[in-house]
Amino acid sequence: MTDQTHLLIRLAQSHKPDCVLSFGGPLPKNVASPDELAVTLGSDGVARYAAACRPVYEDLRRIIGQISGLIILAQLTAQHQVTDLPEYAACEARAKQAGDRLGALKTPGGTEPHKAQLEAALRFSHLALRTFSHARGGEAFAADLDQAGLLVKRAYAHLRAASAAKAGLEMVDLSQACCCCGQQPSR
Amino acid sequence: MADYSIWVLEYSYVPKYHKSGVLYGAHNEGYVKLPYCYVVIKGRDHVAMVDVGYNDKDYGKTLGDRFGVENWRDPKTVLTEVGVTPEEVDTCFITHAHFDHFGNVEDFPNTKFYIQEREISKWVWAMSLPDRMRWMMIAVDPGDIVRGVDLARDRRLVTVDGAVENVLPGIDLHAAPDSHTWGSMWVTVRNDGKSPSEDTWVLAGDLVYQFDNITNDGAVVDVEQMYTPVGLAVGSQTNLILATEEMMSQVGYEARRVIPIHEERLNDTFPSRISKDGLRITEICLADGESSKVS
Repeated sequence: MTDQTHLLIRLAQSHKPDCVLSFGGPLPKNVASPDELAVTLGSDGVARYAAACRPVYEDLRRIIGQISGLIILAQLTAQHQVTDLPEYAACEARAKQAGDRLGALKTPGGTEPHKAQLEAALRFSHLALRTFSHARGGEAFAADLDQAGLLVKRAYAHLRAASAAKAGLEMVDLSQACCCCGQQPSR
Repeated sequence: MADYSIWVLEYSYVPKYHKSGVLYGAHNEGYVKLPYCYVVIKGRDHVAMVDVGYNDKDYGKTLGDRFGVENWRDPKTVLTEVGVTPEEVDTCFITHAHFDHFGNVEDFPNTKFYIQEREISKWVWAMSLPDRMRWMMIAVDPGDIVRGVDLARDRRLVTVDGAVENVLPGIDLHAAPDSHTWGSMWVTVRNDGKSPSEDTWVLAGDLVYQFDNITNDGAVVDVEQMYTPVGLAVGSQTNLILATEEMMSQVGYEARRVIPIHEERLNDTFPSRISKDGLRITEICLADGESSKVS
């Protein structure tokens, strides 16, 4: 792991325990979702926020799944060249896209805690990507992969906390799966 | 002589599932009950499973509210019906990475999981594709891949490339690439330990949902029965048919020996009972010396 990666992780870990970006703190709990907020606040702004969240959420679930899959491939093969795969480059590009989209996301009153979870998910995804990309062969390789795995796990926990079925922010697309049923999803 | 006992255990169900999902092309033909099950294989000093179901903590509410999935029970409750605990399960064969098959690995702390390497690598590829191709990611939970990281770190995730003979004594894995999913597989139990075997069982995963996929009415082509694939394939229905033919050839074309885990009518063919929780336990076969769990 490079000094810069160490620095990034240290900075992330130095947040206060109650900060959403604290790596060592308790796992995040679900925050009020846009559909819940829409009931209480009833604003068009919340509805627009929910709609604008979807592409960000989709980016993040893809990023998290991809990093995890690539870490597994690296663990199984003990090859750091996994980061040379086009899938890794696609993951980095999507992370940048998610950052741009998240930066442009406007938060009407009450939605800030929800956006904070998305930001935390992206932050830990970036850390996982950097840790993974700096992992090289040798004795530290397994430890670097472990660290990247912990970071992506944390990112996943934050994204789960921001999930909201009625707002279309769902981890699994069940709509046409072997597990879905005769009832049509109500949106 | 039989080396293994095999039970199909229902852990949840959908009372009303559209038939066209089960049987390709069966549009406007109504609904069928769809049980969710996994399989326990016990014998030769092993307790193995085929798939582990899904994690109700994460999806129970969505599945219940939106899709009508009912009566989920955890593996501890379900497995106790055949005298097994999750901790005793040493081996699990993941037929594919859909969340309702690969979604509950956390409940099996001592288990080594086998999956086709193509199932992992192709999902990673699919996730890298543009959003307009999102359909190819259906039913996969990134969380399951996240949990796979821990399994791989602990050397509890074994990826295999194609067929593997005797992964446990008398148990073989067979790949069906680009079929229901990118790297689906089925499990073949040669219960007399011989090769070729005269006592073969095939655990089909989602390559076959129900008996109708194997024994559909063949009048249209003037045969008694014909294969009709399941409704969902990210690969091709052709590959599903080819896999079905290979499975059938392994069991000497005795259709009852290909076990479809989403089949409601298993109890018409095999001894079964309903647990106090309202879930079905089906006994496919018993190892020498094993007592029945359904009588």
